[in-house]
Amino acid sequence: MRGSLSKRIAIWGLVWVSLITLSLPTLIVIGASFTAGEIIRFPPEGFSLRWYGELWQLDSFKAALARTFYVSAICTAVSLPVGTLAAIATVRYRIRFRNAVQVYLLLPFTIPLVVSGISMMIFFGEIRILGQLWPVGVALCIINLPFMIWSVSASVNAIDPEIENAAMNCGAPPLQTFLTVTLPAVMPGVITGGLLMFILAFNEFLVSLFLTDSRTVTLPVQIYNSIRSVITPDLAAVSVLYIAIALIAVFLLDRLVGLDIFLRSK
Amino acid sequence: MSHMKYPISWRLLDALEAAAAVLWPARMRRLTAWALLAPALFLVGVLVIGLGYMVEYSLHELDLSTYRLKEAYSLTNYQTILDRPVYARVLGRTLLGAVLVTAISVALAFPYAYAIVRTPSAMVRKALLVALFLPFFIGQVVRAYGWLIVLGREGLVNSALAGMGLPTVDLLFTYPAVIFGLVQYMLPFAILLLVPALAAIPEDMELASESLGARWTSTFRHVVIPMAKPGLIGASVVVFTLTLTDFAMPEILGGGTSDFIASAIYDSFFQISNPGLGAALSMVLVTLGSLIVAGVFLVAGTGTLGVRGAK
Amino acid sequence: MTTTDFAGRRTFLKLGAAGAGALAMPGILRAQDKPSEIIVRAWGGAWGDALKEGVADPFTAATGIPVRLDFTEDNEIKPKIWAAVDQGRIPPIHVNWDTTTNATISALRGVTVDLSDLSNLEGLLPLAKPTGLEGYPLVNTYAYVYVCAYRPEAFPDGAPDSWTVMLDPKFKGRVALYDDGIGFNPIAVIAGGGSFEDIPGNMEPGYEFYRKLKENAPLLGEDADFTTWFQNGEIDLACTISVNARAARQSGIDVEWTVPKEGCKVDTDGLWVPRGLPANEEHWAKEFVNFALSREAQEKWCSLLGLPPVFPGIAPPADLVGDPSYPTTPADFERLVSVPSPVLVENQPVWFAKFSEIFQG
Repeated sequence: MRGSLSKRIAIWGLVWVSLITLSLPTLIVIGASFTAGEIIRFPPEGFSLRWYGELWQLDSFKAALARTFYVSAICTAVSLPVGTLAAIATVRYRIRFRNAVQVYLLLPFTIPLVVSGISMMIFFGEIRILGQLWPVGVALCIINLPFMIWSVSASVNAIDPEIENAAMNCGAPPLQTFLTVTLPAVMPGVITGGLLMFILAFNEFLVSLFLTDSRTVTLPVQIYNSIRSVITPDLAAVSVLYIAIALIAVFLLDRLVGLDIFLRSK
Repeated sequence: MSHMKYPISWRLLDALEAAAAVLWPARMRRLTAWALLAPALFLVGVLVIGLGYMVEYSLHELDLSTYRLKEAYSLTNYQTILDRPVYARVLGRTLLGAVLVTAISVALAFPYAYAIVRTPSAMVRKALLVALFLPFFIGQVVRAYGWLIVLGREGLVNSALAGMGLPTVDLLFTYPAVIFGLVQYMLPFAILLLVPALAAIPEDMELASESLGARWTSTFRHVVIPMAKPGLIGASVVVFTLTLTDFAMPEILGGGTSDFIASAIYDSFFQISNPGLGAALSMVLVTLGSLIVAGVFLVAGTGTLGVRGAK
Repeated sequence: MTTTDFAGRRTFLKLGAAGAGALAMPGILRAQDKPSEIIVRAWGGAWGDALKEGVADPFTAATGIPVRLDFTEDNEIKPKIWAAVDQGRIPPIHVNWDTTTNATISALRGVTVDLSDLSNLEGLLPLAKPTGLEGYPLVNTYAYVYVCAYRPEAFPDGAPDSWTVMLDPKFKGRVALYDDGIGFNPIAVIAGGGSFEDIPGNMEPGYEFYRKLKENAPLLGEDADFTTWFQNGEIDLACTISVNARAARQSGIDVEWTVPKEGCKVDTDGLWVPRGLPANEEHWAKEFVNFALSREAQEKWCSLLGLPPVFPGIAPPADLVGDPSYPTTPADFERLVSVPSPVLVENQPVWFAKFSEIFQG
């Protein structure tokens, strides 16, 4: 960054405020999870892995973790084709009522999550699928679908339509153009969107709270319920698991598409 | 035997192409876009149906002798919302919170995004991006839990104060705690929406401005900020709507006295078992959020949120 | 042979007899198939620990059926059960451990199974029978008191003798109530200058008390919050069920409780079984409730909670002999404030709404 000293002080000063705000809870949770004591306090009492050990003993934790993976996998599997096709359609094709379609596809964002969650609880109950696990995955796909569409449409925007036209002009039929030209070109967006959908589903608690019961409870809901009752250090250990998964996702994102994918202007 | 020269994938593609031509003949091409959109339209349709239930519920009053909604249609629930000043106050608190969080988040996000875009060091950029994505990928509940540990009576801040011989302070379960937690939650959203807008501004523009003798503050005011307007609008709208409807932070960090409107909806459905009233409150929130967003879009355009399409 | 084994054996014989009786009726034969588990909704923390140790584990030992405790909030499970019953789905739990008021509301809504045929109902204290309802759509299991719990360190002159101490500016931000005012709504009326006769006709003195209390910025929470707040030294004074204060004390925190001159609210909790379960699951859910009413379960469960059970003649735990939070005689109850269930069912939602109106404002 070029510029005067005062500019650098102002910018970097604020950046540091953000950095500390963004990172502090994460670092604190990691520190707290290694306490040997019964309750969380600072400085932690001693260092131990006992809360990780206790966590691993808990069958309910392992079952909830497995369910969370299952739900997130369904969410990702459904959103990959649905979001990719929708993004290609909105960006590449001439559609009547384009604005109406875009407003409609943004409904998952404009309808508050608490309203979406309760109304899906009512609707899924009416059609007798409440209480099963797969509808939770579908519901999480619905509420986060705009993220998928955004990621892919950013990539679609970035391809030069002339490439597709060139393929068509050289005699490539439409499906072939789609599979060999369009799809590979939007892959970075698809990968980013897929990762995002998985992570968001893995963390979602509010809609899940309404759609699960004790037979189908997922990890974020279980954490929320525990925070509401007794705050014990084993929650810090669960949180560290979440931090680890976030780290893996950041690593994957960096490796597969590069973190600076978001830097490119549309 | 000439076709044997072609690789198997080609023949597979040809077969697929032929199948596609039968299933989706050229005269259907006009509808291709709708066919591609259909699954997404269907999924989002679930929410529309759900909203339909909400509208229906909101028009029935609760019968306290059976705890069921009455058959008759009425606007009683909406009247109740108008009659009870508590709802206006909770709504006011929510709106104020959304404005504060939006202002603070965008103000903090702007320099962060600027630093990401303009830093000459790839290492620094990578570090800033990782510090940004990590919390973005960690959910609200886990982050709120982190704040409980940092801000609690025996938490990090108070331990530090006590260590310096200062009196401890009540940080948790206050309105500022909720605002703070929300800012931390919204910051990555704001940064991610601002970055592309800032990246689109050529650095030469700034250099030109400064070479003409403008101080960096006026360069920011007259060049960078106006050019980043689409990003600022996009970031503000997303942060504002997400805050307006947030449930977790006020619930966990607010200690029960700083509820936002989402908590009031939850309480109506669950605590006082009145789905009619909860549905009416939901409709109020949906309408309010949509009106505000539509208003901003009308006045300032859709910013980076609009998906550009084929003209 | 340990006591648990003994208790288990005896119950097993009893259950065996019930099974043999059912054998005579071929139609119900399938009802005896053991389910893979019984899910009991419970409160967490000290409450859940007591249910597990006092009832769930011995039940599993006696029947071989695992019991899962579901810590979903009582308010949250209620509409979920109602919707499941209305829509003909299987309800999410087998047994609901619930406040008598909420259980009565569910009974009025017609989602509870009648428990009149449970063998252990016989000989229980009259407290066990729900008032204003036909038969046993629920059964009360113990009484409890919303005591005035305090940190002795903050009260060097001894226990507070009036609830009005909550208004003392000295305790600003250090007083706690339940987040809907439950357990304190009737008391606020008396502390605010009204009388018991004002309830529910004239609650205004109570609301006035709340408006003054609001100046003192009280914390609002649920059961486990109180224990945590006491543990972390975040509050000096709370209106909470004695169980939560006792849990804090048992973890080594200096907490005492008292019944101030205005009195404390006494209430009951109960168990009920939702309609719509498969026949065998309903059968074993009722057996679970029956088991919870047996002398062994009542003794263990209630002494862990530190609450007076509905099974007669059980001695209080050593630390609670003569304690005001453990009423046993009519004279003990005289000092407390008891609002009849039908009054609570009809008026509590209004009080809750008013409470949140005042404190959310």
